[in-house]
Amino acid sequence: MNDRGLRVAVAASVVLVSIWAGARLYVTRTSEHGQAVPGVEASAPNAQTPDEGWPHPIIPARLPVFSLSDLQGLPTPIMRWSGKSLVINFWATWCAPCRREIPLLQTLASEWAGRDVTVVGIAVDYRDKVQDFAREFKIDYPLLIGEQDALDVAAKFGMDSPAFPFTVFTDRRGEVVALFVGELHRPQADLILSVVQTLNQDLVQLPEAKRSIADGLAAILNNRAG
Amino acid sequence: MSSLLLLGATTTASAKPWWMRGIDSNATDFLPPDVAFRLGARVDGDLLMVRWVIADGYYLYRQKIEVKAESPDLLVLAPQLPKGLIKTDPYLGTQEIYTQQVEVAVPFKRFDAGAHPIQIKVTYQGCAEAGLCYPPITRVVFPGAAIKPAAVATPSHSWEGMAIIGGVLAFLLAGLVLRKGRKLDIPV
Repeated sequence: MNDRGLRVAVAASVVLVSIWAGARLYVTRTSEHGQAVPGVEASAPNAQTPDEGWPHPIIPARLPVFSLSDLQGLPTPIMRWSGKSLVINFWATWCAPCRREIPLLQTLASEWAGRDVTVVGIAVDYRDKVQDFAREFKIDYPLLIGEQDALDVAAKFGMDSPAFPFTVFTDRRGEVVALFVGELHRPQADLILSVVQTLNQDLVQLPEAKRSIADGLAAILNNRAG
Repeated sequence: MSSLLLLGATTTASAKPWWMRGIDSNATDFLPPDVAFRLGARVDGDLLMVRWVIADGYYLYRQKIEVKAESPDLLVLAPQLPKGLIKTDPYLGTQEIYTQQVEVAVPFKRFDAGAHPIQIKVTYQGCAEAGLCYPPITRVVFPGAAIKPAAVATPSHSWEGMAIIGGVLAFLLAGLVLRKGRKLDIPV
């Protein structure tokens, strides 16, 4: 082999090695990129540090203005019940604790009806399912239904990506007194409604009322644990 | 890996849930869905292994689990769901649920000769025993390779290093040879 041949061979090998190295680098980089997030949610980069970056809920001070359709499909503004204390229960038919809560809500609706407290259910669900369910469970308090529009209402209460059930309590002036996340039980409901009652009778101020609800709920939780 | 995930789940369980911060009217703590149900996925031969680490007091519904192909030319078959625990709810009937941890094997075929990273869309739905249900959660995941990331990273890094060193050495060698050749070319 002459000099020229040697030079060509060496140059060619340099080019080949470079290409190989480059390709190797590229492959490594791309495969690493694929493995950099093994099974980590692409759409939820905060999943590894769940304590950071989550939105804080902003619970409105007053009942927001909204309108949703009722069981018959008629648009119903929440202001229809203005002047009443409201128990607004967000639920869905696929949610077991929501279904368990219904009998309690029925009881509360009838027990508190004479004291200007109205229970309103907001089903974030399909209309036909809610209609079937309401018939089967003989729900006699007013029900509002919606899909995205009901989710928008949930967001107005500070629950942008809600879990169910959750229940909002207002006083007769439309001030939001409590937002209870999770299945409501009799002691919690009685506690919150009795505080709402003292608010309605102007026996306490709102901050004091909220404090006594918080203390009362903590006491119920501790009693159950202990 | 699993102990790490479990550790993560337990340490965050005591942290204040995001939707309760600033609310003083609720004494119940709930976890954000991605903490309650930690999702992971990996490739094992011709199976995609999708796994959830489920926080204490939380559960997933077996029949609500769905896995679909997201990347092109990927065929994902029905997930092989292991038997769950039977949960009888007077208001929702009998359901099969998963608690603690569950791994689901999903047979797959790819027709892209590996051109795209495997990407799947996983849907699941679960609740907290304390009485809270999350709406169906959908997450897109890239299942990693079968080998653990650390085990892959080390050899690939050394390959990368060797490639670079090899390239540089070859370049220097070539330079020497070419230089030598040029010398030979020029008549003294």
